[in-house]
Amino acid sequence: MNLGNVDIIEAVMDNLPVGVFVKDASDDFRFVVWNKKQEEITQMSAATALGKTDEQLFSKEAAELFRSIDEDVLNSGKLKKIPQESIRTKAGKRYLRTLKLPMNDPTTGRILLVGISEDITESVETQKELERLSERFNATSRELQETQNQLFQAEKLDSIGRLAAGVAHEVKNPLAMLLLGVDYLDGGIAEDDPNIPVILKQMREGVTRADSIVRGLVDFSSQSAIERKKTRIRDVFNSTLLLVKHELVRANVKLRLGIADGLPSVYLDVPKFEQVLINLILNAIQASGEQKKKEITITAQTERLKNVDPDEGARTLRTFRENDLVVVVRIQDNGTGIDPDNIDKIFDPFFTTKATGEGTGLGLSITRKIIELHDGKLQLKNRTDEVTGTIAEITLPTRLGNTANIKSPKSKTEDSD
Amino acid sequence: MPKKILLVDDEAGFTQLLKMNLERSGSYQVRIENDSLKAVETAREFGPDVIILDVVMPGMDGGDVQAALADHPMLRSTPVIMLTALVESSELPSDSVAQAGENIVLPKPVDINLLTRAIEEAIV
Ligand SMILES: Nc1ncnc2c1ncn2[C@@H]1O[C@H](COP(=O)(O)OP(=O)(O)OP(=O)(O)O)[C@@H](O)[C@H]1O
Ligand SMILES: [Mg+2]
Repeated sequence: MNLGNVDIIEAVMDNLPVGVFVKDASDDFRFVVWNKKQEEITQMSAATALGKTDEQLFSKEAAELFRSIDEDVLNSGKLKKIPQESIRTKAGKRYLRTLKLPMNDPTTGRILLVGISEDITESVETQKELERLSERFNATSRELQETQNQLFQAEKLDSIGRLAAGVAHEVKNPLAMLLLGVDYLDGGIAEDDPNIPVILKQMREGVTRADSIVRGLVDFSSQSAIERKKTRIRDVFNSTLLLVKHELVRANVKLRLGIADGLPSVYLDVPKFEQVLINLILNAIQASGEQKKKEITITAQTERLKNVDPDEGARTLRTFRENDLVVVVRIQDNGTGIDPDNIDKIFDPFFTTKATGEGTGLGLSITRKIIELHDGKLQLKNRTDEVTGTIAEITLPTRLGNTANIKSPKSKTEDSD
Repeated sequence: MPKKILLVDDEAGFTQLLKMNLERSGSYQVRIENDSLKAVETAREFGPDVIILDVVMPGMDGGDVQAALADHPMLRSTPVIMLTALVESSELPSDSVAQAGENIVLPKPVDINLLTRAIEEAIV
């Protein structure tokens, strides 16, 4: 080997973009090679490092770790990759990806350990920053979710307030039946009185009715994150109508219900979907105002989607596709209709045309949000037939989208249709 | 002769039980009308001594029915007892039975003795 070659080797070493070091295993693993890049990575000059051991240069723990890896490499006689290790330097913590291999020096017979280190500090830090960001993002989105739930709940409590008088009224009728039953029985019972079975039947019915109304209200007011279960549309209508029945009667609104037979089950969060229906029905009642023959028609049927606007549903997680089988619920009133000037604003939070105290303007924005959480779509349009009024149209998917909030049914029998 | 009572309330179960209670003593003959829109027609045909009206009903509410009755020469003077399940206690007169005459309002659930007393006072 002539001098010229040594020069070349040194020049190459010092120009390599990776740190190179060599330890002499026959001499307590003292460093015998320490290239330029290695100086830069470790912030230690060759003059400092050469002739020293890991223990003299690095922390005790780091040195012990390096030594155990070195011995491992020598014992196995094989190259070893260390995907990530860290050292402390004057310029702070550095992350390295290192390769170690054993070598015999044929001229001297020494056993050498060759190391090649790449400085990956920047990419590790970027990665860490990304992790931090994504954690913060998750925390924020959890907070948002929480806030959203609270908002849903607040709006729900608002409608409960509105429904309370009606619900109380609906409970009082069954109670009135019970009291009359008790009064009758209290008057003494003749054994052959044909009224007795009738009275007992009515009393039992009264208890059942009061119970289902109260229970409906309790279920409705329960607060929970959105949780969807396989549900029959008809069941949700039944429980909802119990809660709004009194509002309909009081406003003298006739309700026509047309739920198609054999509708496929849909995945619903029942209390939240009740909230949707209650909001839309209350809106319809409120819009009916002075109309003479107030009438609300609610229908539910399956349809195949036609002419799907590719942009439509972009607001939702999942885009509806042409020819999708969907369940469409329509709530149609013969009220005032929506002023064309307002049609773009009705979904804005706090937009209301109602007197203070009568409307907060949150109904539709929350209703739409809940429907979107069901991968569905809500539209309001004015009727185009000869009658004025509005149609609220809910489109629900019959197959599952990419939503995580599905609760699997507890038992098989529960969802048999 | 038993006194004739017309019961106008959309709650079929309630009217059925009330009829049984009232007819039990033998002093009343009760007719039920569950459709408030037919209340006036039924009243004309039946000629009740007293009419018991529910306040909240689909179609015509108690107030509407009362107004329609007042339009009728034959029914104008028939005493009316209103029953209401409306919660606000302010809607009820403090001493409900005592003040006979124009507008007797009783709460629902109604105590049968209270109602009977109200009927008796209304008929006099
Ligand atoms: N069925 C309907 N017919 C006519 N206008 C409607 C109908 N539904 C909603 N609107 C209009 O949209 C507005 C916003 O409705 P939204 O339900 O968001 O709020 P609100 O009903 O005014 O108040 P809240 O629902 O908080 O009580 C209403 O004020 C009304 O002008
Ligand atoms: Mg509303």
